[in-house]
Amino acid sequence: MASIAKRALAAAAVASMAATLAACGGGGSGDNSSAGDAAKSGSKGGTLYYYINKPVEHVDPQRVYVGRDISNLNRTVYRGLVSFPADTDPDVANKPVADLATDTGTKNADATQWKFTIKDGVKWQDGKQITCADFKYGASRAFATDVITGGPNYILSYLDVPEGSDGLPSYTGPYKSSAAGKAAFDKAITCSGNTITYNFKKPWPDFPLAVAALHMMDPYRQDKDQGDRSNYQIFSNGPYKLQGAWSKNKGATMVRNDQYDPSTDSTEIRKALPDEIVFDIGKSQETIADQLIADGGNDKFAVTGERVPSAYFARLTGAVADRAVNVQSPFVDYVLPNFKKMTNPKVREALAMAANTKGWIDAGGGSRAYAEAKSIVNPSVTGYQANPAFTAPASGDPAAAKKLLQEAGVTTPYPITFTYPKTDTADKQAAALQATWDKAGFKVSLDPQGDTYYDVIQKPSNGADVIWGGWGADWPSAITVTPPLFDSRPNLTKNSTGQDYGNYKSDTFNKIVDQAQSAADLGDQTKALQAADEQLGKDFAYIPLESQKFNFLRGSKVSGYNNTPASAMYPDLGPISLEK
Amino acid sequence: MFAYVIRRLFVGVIMLLVMSLVTFLLFFAGPLDPARFACGKNCSEAQQAQTSKALGFDKSPVVQWSDFVKGVVTGRQFPDDPALRKAAPKLVTDCPTGCLGYSVVSTSTVNKEFKEAIPVSVSIAIFAFIMWIIGGVLFGVIAALFKGRLLDRGIVGIALVFFAFPTFFIGQLFLQFVAIKWRVFEVPDYMSIAEGGIGAWAYNLLLPAFTLALFYMAGYVRMTRAFVLESMGEDYLRTARAKGVRQSRVLFKHALRAALTPLVTMAGLDFASLLGGAIITETVFNFNGLGKLAVVAVNTYDLPTLVGLVILLATFVILANIVVDILYAVIDPRVRVG
Amino acid sequence: MSSSTPTLAQGVGTGAGASGTPFLSVRDLKVHFPTPDGVVKATDGLSFGLERGRTLGIVGESGSGKSVSSSTILGLHRGSRAMVSGEILLDGTDLLSLSDEEMRLRRGREVSMIFQDPLSAMHPYYTVGNQIAEAYRVHNDVNRKQARARAIEMLDRVGIPQPDRRVDDYPHQYSGGMRQRAMIAMGLINDPGLLIADEPTTALDVTVQAQILDLLQDLQKEFNSAIVIITHDLGVVAEMADEVLVMYAGRCVEYGPTKQILTNPEMPYTWGLLSSVPDVTGDTDARLVPIPGNPPSLLNPPTGCAFHPRCTYRDKVPGSLCTTDLPELTPAKSGGFHVRRCHLPDPAAVYAEEVVPEMQADMTGEPIEETEK
Repeated sequence: MASIAKRALAAAAVASMAATLAACGGGGSGDNSSAGDAAKSGSKGGTLYYYINKPVEHVDPQRVYVGRDISNLNRTVYRGLVSFPADTDPDVANKPVADLATDTGTKNADATQWKFTIKDGVKWQDGKQITCADFKYGASRAFATDVITGGPNYILSYLDVPEGSDGLPSYTGPYKSSAAGKAAFDKAITCSGNTITYNFKKPWPDFPLAVAALHMMDPYRQDKDQGDRSNYQIFSNGPYKLQGAWSKNKGATMVRNDQYDPSTDSTEIRKALPDEIVFDIGKSQETIADQLIADGGNDKFAVTGERVPSAYFARLTGAVADRAVNVQSPFVDYVLPNFKKMTNPKVREALAMAANTKGWIDAGGGSRAYAEAKSIVNPSVTGYQANPAFTAPASGDPAAAKKLLQEAGVTTPYPITFTYPKTDTADKQAAALQATWDKAGFKVSLDPQGDTYYDVIQKPSNGADVIWGGWGADWPSAITVTPPLFDSRPNLTKNSTGQDYGNYKSDTFNKIVDQAQSAADLGDQTKALQAADEQLGKDFAYIPLESQKFNFLRGSKVSGYNNTPASAMYPDLGPISLEK
Repeated sequence: MFAYVIRRLFVGVIMLLVMSLVTFLLFFAGPLDPARFACGKNCSEAQQAQTSKALGFDKSPVVQWSDFVKGVVTGRQFPDDPALRKAAPKLVTDCPTGCLGYSVVSTSTVNKEFKEAIPVSVSIAIFAFIMWIIGGVLFGVIAALFKGRLLDRGIVGIALVFFAFPTFFIGQLFLQFVAIKWRVFEVPDYMSIAEGGIGAWAYNLLLPAFTLALFYMAGYVRMTRAFVLESMGEDYLRTARAKGVRQSRVLFKHALRAALTPLVTMAGLDFASLLGGAIITETVFNFNGLGKLAVVAVNTYDLPTLVGLVILLATFVILANIVVDILYAVIDPRVRVG
Repeated sequence: MSSSTPTLAQGVGTGAGASGTPFLSVRDLKVHFPTPDGVVKATDGLSFGLERGRTLGIVGESGSGKSVSSSTILGLHRGSRAMVSGEILLDGTDLLSLSDEEMRLRRGREVSMIFQDPLSAMHPYYTVGNQIAEAYRVHNDVNRKQARARAIEMLDRVGIPQPDRRVDDYPHQYSGGMRQRAMIAMGLINDPGLLIADEPTTALDVTVQAQILDLLQDLQKEFNSAIVIITHDLGVVAEMADEVLVMYAGRCVEYGPTKQILTNPEMPYTWGLLSSVPDVTGDTDARLVPIPGNPPSLLNPPTGCAFHPRCTYRDKVPGSLCTTDLPELTPAKSGGFHVRRCHLPDPAAVYAEEVVPEMQADMTGEPIEETEK
């Protein structure tokens, strides 16, 4: 039993890891079939069911870090200073609008200081006014990294609090901290009446995006804080509140919060039409799909954040097809050449030239499962542009690649290994890539990895030539994509490659990243990030494979159903309503 | 007898100690760092080290194990940090004697998790147990009585089918067709007696328990049949018939009594391991019992819950073994001590 | 296949002349078992009679049909695939014509049986007293307490010390001899007219065997039962039986008063049995020496005389009579009720001239080797 448990444990860890790493997208593209429903204005009332398979890890605002959960909590219980509107057009959905704050904030000239004013009449579920101190306390919790674990921690590297010798901020959160650390924090975030001021040590022009995309800057009531024990507690300031407790394994029922005043809110963000929302956790993906296809009883009023398993695609016909959506996710999958091994740029270019991404997509379920990708940045991210480096046809150009290899002056066949997390589908997909690469003059050996995939590829000594990866943006800016994946400075250490699995190290790229990170203006920052992606293309630091697509089902009595970039392309609870 | 039980209990405690230690060592022998899992996305090395410390994973497995044992004996506090307790006592969870640990994933004590999951697993186990014992013994006896005839072949054949099909498959079948498609039953969702009364409790248990019972029933039909046939060949049955005892009495008083004895052992142990949760059934039907808890714990790297489960399950099995042995002595005078 | 003439067999036996039909009268009993390979003729035309107070010994190797025949008398074949024909008259009633229920009511009350291995013949999970009392309660309308008192009384009668205490013991707490005594108590508790004892001493220690046999004889006198004792031990027969029936391959091969069979046997198979006992009136411990060859298959018995493949005196029979014709049961030379089944023109002479001297030689020579049991 023990050995089985251990294997299962390790396998599960990889799976969950992948989910964590991938499930945090902040935007998406709504150019597919989901649009149109929002136009209908729904009626109030009814109980909405939201089916989830695995337990939600955190509902604590400073800890929640999964796109679906962030969106669901935003639309129901946790309002932020600003929020993304529920719109299928990314140009609209990616621009935060005022929520608890009176406007979308004002920054100083170099974007190192942001000010927000909190609306009057916004209340907690117990009727108390939401104050600046609540916001400050919420932000402080993120610093208690020994108690409030697992949450987004961008604030730690931006807020103007000095770092200690261990590389962590000297302020360690509200529970126990040195006096010096606390003093520094008190200086970094200040309250003046209803106005809160954040002081950063470097420019953060996209700060409102981060505020809208995550809950880390949400207010928190100090008297309700129980540290780790608050992980499943929700103290609401939104249109709903919990009835009873959130059960990790069963979920929760949300009912209307009588202290919520819709006049302080915007219907662009949330309409709060259903009277009750039941989060039902634990059904398998198959069961959820079965129930929604059958569309009986409460399932008529149900939506889900679980994808339809590919085995069920054939059943999405007729009336069921009308209740199914196929939308592009905020994630991109890619392969990375290992710069420690493939030092010759021509060889990397040849690899990109011969990559049969169409074969990869077809082997994985075709256009129902994947969309083509032309950059590691998802199209739903502001400033997206196709990377000009990837000129090869979708099914690869082995002949051109062969020429490139000859130009490179390497002996062919050029042996390379390709490592990826093993599944049956991935094996078929890898074989499709292998075929054209081999044709071009590579000699590919496949190296599927099981349970310990991320441990293997994070080892600096990893000898694979080509490595699979997947990523989604935390908020709709490439600053949460290319710098975390390719900036060698925070990633490459003695023991780990961090997220720079390909050991990419470019001073030119790092300089562009510095420009982006020090830009005071969002437009300048976006431009710099576009340049950064172009640089990656020039170096062939990655080859985009595809962007996954979501297939979701819903019940027949659900209207106002949309998958918006604001909800990471999961069902957006903001405008949703139920027919009688 | 008393001394015997004490001795068995003592050996059981030693076994639990060893098993818990092995669980700790195995968990940390894996190549993955559980702290990284808890630390989340964009986790720097320094943060990972800090998380590891916060979870207590920085200590050696043996030290963590001895902390665990200490917790069972004297109770513990989570986090075990006097400074934090002083600064923010609200943050510290007290876990009194018998403490099986604190699950970071569930942010509650393992004991509390068990308190919620045990009634579910026990309910399924009891329900399934009753179904499979009645069904298994009944059909087994019938098959034995009609040995070689169509009825026997039918029963044995059907039993073989249910025995061969995975519980997962049968459960899915019930769920997909009986509950979701035909709506003969509502999709089962565990409801405690306190929540919905005995009726709702039993109603929701019916499908999962039956799924589970089918598998065991199939096994017990075959075993009962074999044991009854074996005991029907025993000399003492001929003696009973030679005395002029009625055939029905020969069967039920003399033959079954002997045939059921080995069944008691097996049923006892099967029941005990079921108390530890029916992993597949609970997962298919989404019942939050110990089996589902185990699956989730494995998926989320929840060491304290896993250790607790190992201990709980082992305790069930050890106790069941002792109970079965005592029961055996009651049933079979030959093994009575002294 | 024809069998011996019933009239002849019927005439054999002590009480035949006086009352016409003896207490137990078995006529042309056939017990056949159909199997996928053919019909097994476990008993094929067996006839004998027995009076109250008398003892019949049935002797033969394992598989000769002796146990099957006695089980059939008890009706234990019922519910199995056995095909039974012939007549079993007990006190004038044909047991084979009774319904199952009528037969059940007679079982244990009019006919009882005690078995070879008392340990396996008693239920391990019930007390001895419980099992004895059950035999009583089946046939008598008494309550638990009365039945128990009766069981204690019977245990006392068969010589169990402290019967009021030992009544609550389980079989495994008894010694082998005590268990057999308890079995006897169970068999006799309803005072049956006929007791069938199937190898009652085989599983017991030598010293205990004699005690059990003595007990049986004492009780027989007291209850005036008829006893059929099945054994392969001629010593037991010599001690117990008034008449002897030797069985081979499902048939009676020699039948007559014990004294005559033991002193003037006229069938080579009986000679073989006797050869193994140095002194029939002495040591009861002597066991059978295996007769050369194997017992015959009951599925495919040899043609003619079933014993012919193992018979060393076959060449004294003219022609191939032994292999072609089944010898009839014919009166022996010694007269009386003694019959045997043999083609030898003068078996008595062969016995006197060839067998007896050889046996005497054996006695003075090497000790007889222990046989398989």
